[in-house]
Amino acid sequence: MLASLWQQLSDSPVPIDSVDLAWAGLAPVMILIGGALLILAVDSLVPRRLRPGSYALATVLLAAGAMVAAVPLWQRVQDAERGPFATAAGAIMVDGFSVFATFVILSAVILAALSFDGWLRREEMDGAEPYVLMLLSASGGVMMASANDLIVMFLGLEILSIAVYVLAAMHLRKITSQEAGVKYFVLGAFSSAFFLYGIALIYGGTGSTNLVRIATYLSATVLGDSGLVLAGLALLLVGFGFKVAAAPFHFWAPDVYQGAPTPSVAWMASGVKVAGFAGLLRVFYLAFSTYRLDWQPVIFVLAVLTMLVGSVLAVVQTDVKRMLAYSSINHAGFILVAVQAATAAGVQAALFYLAAYTFMVAGSFGVIAVVSRKGDIGTSLDDYRGLSRDRPVVAFAFALLLLAQAGVPLTSGFFAKFYVITAAIEAGSSTLAIIAMITAVISSYVYLRIIVAMYGAGDDVPAPRTIPLPAAAGLALVISLTVTMSVGVFPGTLASLAERATPVLIPESDPGAVDPSGVPPGP
Amino acid sequence: MVAQNVFFYLLAGIILFSAFRVVTSNNVVHAALYLVAVLAAVAAEYVLLAAEFVAATQVLVYIGAIIVLFLFGIMLTRAKLGSDQDLTHPHWALSAATAVVMFGVMGYALVDQFHWTATPLPADTRLVSVDGSNSATVSDSVFTAYLVPFEVVSVLLLAALVGAIVLARKD
Repeated sequence: MLASLWQQLSDSPVPIDSVDLAWAGLAPVMILIGGALLILAVDSLVPRRLRPGSYALATVLLAAGAMVAAVPLWQRVQDAERGPFATAAGAIMVDGFSVFATFVILSAVILAALSFDGWLRREEMDGAEPYVLMLLSASGGVMMASANDLIVMFLGLEILSIAVYVLAAMHLRKITSQEAGVKYFVLGAFSSAFFLYGIALIYGGTGSTNLVRIATYLSATVLGDSGLVLAGLALLLVGFGFKVAAAPFHFWAPDVYQGAPTPSVAWMASGVKVAGFAGLLRVFYLAFSTYRLDWQPVIFVLAVLTMLVGSVLAVVQTDVKRMLAYSSINHAGFILVAVQAATAAGVQAALFYLAAYTFMVAGSFGVIAVVSRKGDIGTSLDDYRGLSRDRPVVAFAFALLLLAQAGVPLTSGFFAKFYVITAAIEAGSSTLAIIAMITAVISSYVYLRIIVAMYGAGDDVPAPRTIPLPAAAGLALVISLTVTMSVGVFPGTLASLAERATPVLIPESDPGAVDPSGVPPGP
Repeated sequence: MVAQNVFFYLLAGIILFSAFRVVTSNNVVHAALYLVAVLAAVAAEYVLLAAEFVAATQVLVYIGAIIVLFLFGIMLTRAKLGSDQDLTHPHWALSAATAVVMFGVMGYALVDQFHWTATPLPADTRLVSVDGSNSATVSDSVFTAYLVPFEVVSVLLLAALVGAIVLARKD
């Protein structure tokens, strides 16, 4: 019967247009989504809970598998003959930039999953859902990094965000976690609306949502009235600015970081920020490069505000999670400095910074997850007094990660900041470079404050306590520390990878594709 | 063309009457059901404009999802389902003024655009199914150019579903 049905279908006089899909280009995303579905299915089928830790292991393996699937993509896009390619009728672009961002996002997944394992067991919240949500969120992030169409970008942003709202509110017995989730959700939905409205205005101004078409249109046409496009760009910037926690769209970050489960924060501060910046670079640096004289000053102001807010307000905090929340705002400002340069060197610096920053920040929040006590409490600065005596190795690792965040030489943070400042000076923004260095000095005070608390002696050091270090969290710490230090000593490898990770605009490869605008030509 | 005009005014009358009843009804469930009538008549207007895809979407989204959500919300939260004299908001006059202003702005935009001139109709005004009609174009682009975004929406819904279960279940 099926055969006759198939026969009828093949004899059908109406040809079925199918779209050429380069499945290999979508492989990392599909591994993440398929893996999330598989974990959900296994979780509902297995009557008794699997051995604890198997979900974390599965998540790590899936992320590693997606990385393996991305390796041939990297080789393909670096190949002189084959090069980058667009697929799915020009909706997805696979280039060095997207593959690099994919690697960084997947690393963040691995580190956060390792951190989740012990944390969930301590909070007696064993379950597959956090891992499923994180995998889905990562698939949205990868989609954002490789989106060649604003609609795909928006869908990626929404998948990324919705999963993270839930990850923030996941600790059902903790009221601050609920508050964090609601706060993030309400503000995030608001910013998504801004983003969507921006897409609508840009579609109105340029006639397409496809980044290649937008760029082609803008470079070939002098708009008599560019108000629509500029307004759309401003709204898109609000949406991105919220996701990467750039001032003045940062107000949610300290509260959410403080209330949300610490491993969720590790993911939020690393993976979500990488995806946000990847999308921002793709849209602003690539599609709207003809408008760079309009958006560069805006990014300049945002970068200055973000760096100042992130460094100055961090000084007055007494909670380590809040301190690191503000410091991650400061890092976002640094990356904005690289974006503002709007040069190839700027993109390289931003990618290097994002890669280095992911390992530093995920490792740091991993330490916070270990040091905090049941109920996800104990994150104030006083709780870190005497850590060097209770857990000398953890304290030492945390100190190194904090020094890396401060940008001390021989760590990856130094080269990250160095490349950013070099790119800014080469692009002629010395003012911005000077402000960046000043804020780096201010925020190093914050890191030193935590280190002094850990290593300080005196009367205010509390009685010794045992801090259990789960094996998975220890592994995450080892990975992030190894990457941070080895990149700090040998920055060349990562720098040359970032240099080759250039984003490109090429028209869709299949000529038979219908007009992606979907609108038939008017009369 | 005459029949189209007749039905346009008929539907417009239904819309106006139902919309008026939505805001004047004393029973909140009746108000919601009058809203169904408004939205259904708007869907019928879309059909008259040969925009059958928009009409179907209007029925699916507004009547099928949003009104049902309204009714569930009313029935799950309000004990009082019958007539309720306190339903009218004390500042209803302000809302009415806002509505009038909105009507004025939109009406001005329309008049400003078209200047009361009647667009001449083509000689043959029968509605015929043309190649590449509304739904066909939409489905073509959904299953070719927008295939990946279309499939990705299901992942978005999955994430929302898993999230809702995580947050709503008891420990």
